[in-house]
Amino acid sequence: MLTEELQNCARALGETLRASPSVQAYLQAQANCAADPEAAELENRLLALYQELLGRQQRGEALLRSEIDAFNALKSQVHQHPLIREHDTALGMVKQSFTEIADDLNFPLGMEFAALALASSV
Amino acid sequence: MNLQTPSITNIELETKADQVARELGQLLLHTPEYQAILKALNAVNNNPAVQKISVEMRNHQNALRWSAENTGEHEATLTRLETELEMMPVVQDYHLAETAVCRMFAEVDAIISQAAGVPFATNAKRGGCSCGR
Repeated sequence: MLTEELQNCARALGETLRASPSVQAYLQAQANCAADPEAAELENRLLALYQELLGRQQRGEALLRSEIDAFNALKSQVHQHPLIREHDTALGMVKQSFTEIADDLNFPLGMEFAALALASSV
Repeated sequence: MNLQTPSITNIELETKADQVARELGQLLLHTPEYQAILKALNAVNNNPAVQKISVEMRNHQNALRWSAENTGEHEATLTRLETELEMMPVVQDYHLAETAVCRMFAEVDAIISQAAGVPFATNAKRGGCSCGR
């Protein structure tokens, strides 16, 4: 059970991050993508195809060269979409900013907070 | 001239985030869970039996890396030593302490992420997944 002080501090960090330009830009880019039917459809198609191919591969099925080429072509199409590119760029900025903030968090601990936080969900 | 300079607000926000992150790190450092993992880690590092097994394991790993002979024997010994190590109470205590810290960090991460509107740990992890979700 987390102490109230710890919860308040974690919330304060989250709220400060939310107010930052990088997170604001990312949330806007995410909303733009979700509101654009073409971008949303492209992303959904890519995800569905990825899951289908991965599932077949994990069941031991060999994929055809043409199927892999079709996947790569769709992936390239997705990443060329202006709103998705904007989203990817904004996400890159968020990652850079979060990694730097995490360094401040890791310093007193001497361990990587993010790696340990994610380890419990694996 | 159209040079983009960071506004005072941005600099203030970054400084505030740095300060709050350091403060959060200090709070986590002083939790019973974190103190327990440091104690458990110290016990593992200073345990003569662990050190002995670790040296043996390194020798077999080096043998596997540099020699093509008796690889099966080295692999079997390594597996046995790993099992022996994992069975030691001091190592099991460390794993229990680690599980508690991971659980606590995941709870803290959930609060940060919810307030930020973006998953924090997923995007803060060095060399992690690039999906961002």
